Amino acid sequence: MKYAFFLGCLIPARELSYETSVRKVLPALGIELVDMKGTNCCAPFSIQSLDYASWLALAARNLCIAEEMGLDILTLCNDCYESLLMVNTTLKRDPKLKNSVNEILSEVGKEFKGKTDVKHLVDVLYADVGVDKLKNAVKEPLTKLRVATQPGCHLTKPKRLHLGFIKEFGALDELVRATGAETVDYDRREMCCGGPLRDINDELSRSVARQKLMDIKNAGVQGIVTVCPFCFLQFDLGQLEIKRHFKEEYNLPVLHFVELLRIAMGMKLENWETKSHRIPISDIFKGRL
Amino acid sequence: MSALDLDFMRKVANVPRGRGVLLCIQCGRCSGSCPIARLVTDHNPRRLMEMVILGLRSEVLLQGLPWYCLSCFTCLDRCPQGGDVGEVMFAIRNLAAKERNIPAGVVAQARSLIDTGRVVNPVKSILNKRKSLGLAEIAPTGVEDVKKILKRTALDRLIRSR
Repeated sequence: MKYAFFLGCLIPARELSYETSVRKVLPALGIELVDMKGTNCCAPFSIQSLDYASWLALAARNLCIAEEMGLDILTLCNDCYESLLMVNTTLKRDPKLKNSVNEILSEVGKEFKGKTDVKHLVDVLYADVGVDKLKNAVKEPLTKLRVATQPGCHLTKPKRLHLGFIKEFGALDELVRATGAETVDYDRREMCCGGPLRDINDELSRSVARQKLMDIKNAGVQGIVTVCPFCFLQFDLGQLEIKRHFKEEYNLPVLHFVELLRIAMGMKLENWETKSHRIPISDIFKGRL
Repeated sequence: MSALDLDFMRKVANVPRGRGVLLCIQCGRCSGSCPIARLVTDHNPRRLMEMVILGLRSEVLLQGLPWYCLSCFTCLDRCPQGGDVGEVMFAIRNLAAKERNIPAGVVAQARSLIDTGRVVNPVKSILNKRKSLGLAEIAPTGVEDVKKILKRTALDRLIRSR
């Protein structure tokens, strides 16, 4: 399988270890990534909140680049996923809207044809690679590791946009269990991390993250596994911010799922990748890093 | 309280993503589902829908109320009417933005988008790190295209004038 690789803004700017892990792990599982060239921001929450036509045109321009490559898109970010998936689905269904977006896109020499599909990392790992193949790829099972997963809102909501298997929130937990780790349910698991309000209403954004961290801590886990760079930031950097503002410490290491998988596949993290986690992760792997 | 705008509900319904407000039966399931309504009393999606229905235009558009929502879409999935509350919130914010009611953080992201094609940009040390790791260069993105698109949709004017 081969995908047009859409990195988005946040990951290549702030979460390099997510990107480098994906670039190592996916090819090892038979997924080829072709970097998309000349893309723009996906048009997330903030931009969608300003203007509808701008959102559609910006997202559609990215979709056009994938169409020109003749490939489906793979994204690593729940926000990019939601934006691109929603616009792709909407424009495919609504020829009139498609025409009006194409009129805007004609100014930049692009035309949306509706020939690409948008996939999240979890879609690809769950549907293309599959849990059985993942289990076979795991060389050093992470037994005795108990984690809480945060799938993040836009991986599964709104439900009507998503395929059956992902609707129920269970796909990520199955993937985590394939690494040998145990996943634990916790209160308000479906709740948002607070990420969209970061930089808009920091106090509130922090309070949402804090609620989640309390719920996760109560479940008695060793760490948190995410598949969204915003959830990661909210929990990893967020714990330092919460320590400063609330004088509370949670000491919950946060990992991108693909980092967990990489470790289980026996592909060690580099020192700088391990250290890029603000809440130290070494302890929970007991010398395996 | 300012004068009621009796057409306000219809105006919201006619903005893209706003249609669902016409289906609202004020059951409050959105508020019961909302992670923000759990934490602060200022935000209450049911009440915001009610304010739109009643025509409290200034109260809805000119203050902070549209900017509490996380767009987590929990309310959208749970609305028994298929009223898409989380979508209506985008319609309300689009109208608020036209009134220049835009939080500084959103303006900053939009400015970054117009200037660089991205809402988040790497600092120099990250650029150096990427180079040393042989990772794909981040710049240039489609920034010229982005400028043309946002000029056409007038988003640049909306942001520059604020």
